Amino acid sequence: MLYFLRRTGFFVATLWAAVTLNFLIPRLQPGDPAQALLARLQGNTQAVNPAQLAAIRKMLGTHDGNLLSQYWDYLGAVVHGQFGVSYSYYPYSVTAMIATALPWTLILVGVTQIASFAIGTLLGAWAAYRRNSRVDSVITLGSTFVGTLPFFWIGLLLIFVFAITLNWFPDGGGYGGGSSPSWTWLFFSDAFQHSVLPALALLITGPVGWIIGMRNNMVQTLGEDYARLARAKGLPRRRIALTYGARIAILPNVTGFAIALGGLLGGTVLVETIFNYPGLGRLLLEAVSNKDYPLMQALFLFTTIGVLIANFLADVTYGFLDPRVRRAEAT
Amino acid sequence: MALLEVRDLSVTYSPRDADTVRAVDGVSFEVHDGEFVGLLGESGCGKSTLGNAVLRLLDKPAAITGGTITFDGKDITSTSEDDLRSLRWVDLSTVFQSSMNSLNPVITIRSQFADTFEAHDNDVDVDDRAGELLEMVSLDRSVLGRFPHELSGGMKQRVALALALALEPRFVLLDEPTTGLDVVVQRDILDRLRVLQARLGFAVLFISHDLGTVMELADRVMVMYAGELVEDQPAAEMVTRHLHPYSAGLLGSYADPRDEIVEVEFIPGRPPDLSQSHAGCLFQPRCPVAVDRCRTVHPDLLPAGRGQVRCLLVEESVGDRAVLDKAAALRHRDQVFAAGPSALADADPVLVVEGISKIYRTRRGLTTTVTTAVDDVSFALRPGQVTALVGQSGSGKTTIARMLTGVERPTAGSIRFKDAPVDHLRRRALRKYRRHVQLVFQDPFSALNPTRTVAYALSRPLRNHLGLSGAEARARAGELLETVGLSPAAQYLDKLPHQLSGGQRQRVVIARALAPEPEVVIADEPISMLDVSIRAEIIALLDALVRDRGIAMLYITHDLLSARLLADEVMVLNEGVMVERGPTLQVIGEAKDPYTRKLLAAIPRPGASGTPVVARGDTEMGAESA
Repeated sequence: MLYFLRRTGFFVATLWAAVTLNFLIPRLQPGDPAQALLARLQGNTQAVNPAQLAAIRKMLGTHDGNLLSQYWDYLGAVVHGQFGVSYSYYPYSVTAMIATALPWTLILVGVTQIASFAIGTLLGAWAAYRRNSRVDSVITLGSTFVGTLPFFWIGLLLIFVFAITLNWFPDGGGYGGGSSPSWTWLFFSDAFQHSVLPALALLITGPVGWIIGMRNNMVQTLGEDYARLARAKGLPRRRIALTYGARIAILPNVTGFAIALGGLLGGTVLVETIFNYPGLGRLLLEAVSNKDYPLMQALFLFTTIGVLIANFLADVTYGFLDPRVRRAEAT
Repeated sequence: MALLEVRDLSVTYSPRDADTVRAVDGVSFEVHDGEFVGLLGESGCGKSTLGNAVLRLLDKPAAITGGTITFDGKDITSTSEDDLRSLRWVDLSTVFQSSMNSLNPVITIRSQFADTFEAHDNDVDVDDRAGELLEMVSLDRSVLGRFPHELSGGMKQRVALALALALEPRFVLLDEPTTGLDVVVQRDILDRLRVLQARLGFAVLFISHDLGTVMELADRVMVMYAGELVEDQPAAEMVTRHLHPYSAGLLGSYADPRDEIVEVEFIPGRPPDLSQSHAGCLFQPRCPVAVDRCRTVHPDLLPAGRGQVRCLLVEESVGDRAVLDKAAALRHRDQVFAAGPSALADADPVLVVEGISKIYRTRRGLTTTVTTAVDDVSFALRPGQVTALVGQSGSGKTTIARMLTGVERPTAGSIRFKDAPVDHLRRRALRKYRRHVQLVFQDPFSALNPTRTVAYALSRPLRNHLGLSGAEARARAGELLETVGLSPAAQYLDKLPHQLSGGQRQRVVIARALAPEPEVVIADEPISMLDVSIRAEIIALLDALVRDRGIAMLYITHDLLSARLLADEVMVLNEGVMVERGPTLQVIGEAKDPYTRKLLAAIPRPGASGTPVVARGDTEMGAESA
């Protein structure tokens, strides 16, 4: 219980630090969003009238006060879940923009991440179970090879082969030009069609790390004395592999997985850009290139909170899986 | 018919990137029902490989390359893993060496019993039977619900023993079952083992490098050297009539610390490289009594005395020991290290410790646990003298060492080095002080950076503390190596730690400690990780260094024999309190404190009378005692 409280306290403190940094960092960057917006509105860079600039500032809701009062307002807004109006998607609010993009990312990347972890762990365990066999060589060498290929290259290759040459799947986007998001079967099948290639790209590269990690951990645990003793005890091979190998080898991977889930947003930028997918990653990219501070801040905050929650969950699950940690928790 | 018959067994390691090594070469032996057989040898002699081969647990790159293993009339040399399963644990079980690691860390003790019963369709009530087994090894039934990390090393090893007996096997292989445990705990487990073996009547193959223990427990002792059996004798016989010179050397490294004059021998040299083939006797290069023919003729294991021996000299004299005895008398003096009674000279102490205590407070939430690691300990170290600090692990020995080196500060009391108050030194003063107080660590394998050469390891203290230049430091490093007996030094300077044997590494560690010309050396169990046959050698080296260089040494150990050999003064520490202190012979010879007596009683005495002798099965050897 005390352990839990301490973890929570730590969680809150980190959260505050993250929120503050999140406020400061964009403001330290050079450039003025109002000017950028004005320039874009006008199509070319004519001399900007100070009055126009002030009007745009007012419209965007930028503060005039000093950094401290801005910070104070910001904190209050964060607590109330208000992240302001998006500069680049004016007049939509940041919250609305994120709400639209979130499901796309959550489904595509969330599902493929979990699948990657499951596939990777299973393949890794299989390779370790049959170590030095042909299965092991194929899995280990294969995943090492795939691991060296750049992700964008795999993505582009998939688009080239399956979308452009074979024309089996669309070459990008979240849904077809003709349909719009709705709860219909037609839309879902359309969205699914669009998600196949990005999901495939993620599933090709995703499991590599888990495979290698799991295999190496498990080869090591199977070489430990307890595994040898299990063999001497005459336990069935499968039981040894599961209880005396995989059960112990999976522990570091679980932590790794929780952390990877938290850092999900960062990884999605690339895939969503390549496949022009309407998720959070692409939103982030656009926010950054348009100096859309409110959107950027909200997205960064989302990522940070995601990582923190994931770490928190990792601690808790680890304690659950590994009795050695559990004891430290109990006392 | 014997229960276990091994005929001409050979095991070869064929690693991908190194030469093949014949770890076990043509070994034949038998173990009868209910017999307790010891297998003795130094590290690397192939004894554990042999054990694993018998259990059919060898993993690549090791494989059985010849011979047969017959268990209860059934050839199991190449039985498939699936067929072996019905035999495993039901007939052949085992206890491994490392108690730290032989239990699955993430499941309870109960589950580890349960899966054993389940795997063999043994339809027993797990709590009932496992509880009974735990009580058999003097553990409480509540241990069942615990995880391995919640148990001490000794408890884990008891659990492993209970587990080994779970299916009432006919044969149990014990591979160094108590190595790494405290002497007192070790004693306790072995006593329990002997009682259980007598009661349940299982046969035992007991693998160990600890000659004293093997001799005391076993009916019959087999000695292994460089992959071969060199002697096989009834234990009682072995003590008085060991025939092989190697056995003689091993026995010579034991002595009773209570004797007036204690003498131990050591066997210089190292075992041969088994990736090469050797003509002649494998022990010949280290043998003190070898003759010319030993170089060319490889002896066979032939009957001699009441057992078998592999030695040309014995072969020729047909069991007559005259030749060996005569040759033994010619043994070089430098292979014997003796300690007689020594008087405490009254040199001025260089390091004075007065009433130091160390109290650790661990805070977990609102409760604070106070642990008194060291409680009001006083002593002094004098130049040219060795003070031994004896106690089992957790008694506070290492905490004292840490305070002496200034790593930790005492909670109370004072430490003075000449005029400097060690417990108040900071930064530069502390750094300067450390030059004078150096450490020799227990584990020579982890005390040296594996990626740095010997020359580098030695030059660091020379450059840091003495400010020598690179070339000067290298020259001095060479001199240091010569001092610790690694000569010619040029041969060792550019070696990496893994290219050296354990004994050589420990010499390097000692050389490193000597490098800044310290006045105090703290040696923390410097020989406990080394093979028996070279322990005496390191003791002799430490002794010579202390006397010649006038170093004051604190020798930390749990081993009273080495304390007896090396120390002028002995202090016994129990749970942070010094329970006994005085001249070595007095403390060891006339121990007053019950704890010191317990430590003394825990020392195995090969063939000593007073060892309970239990009749075992159909062997008659057990009825004898020396």
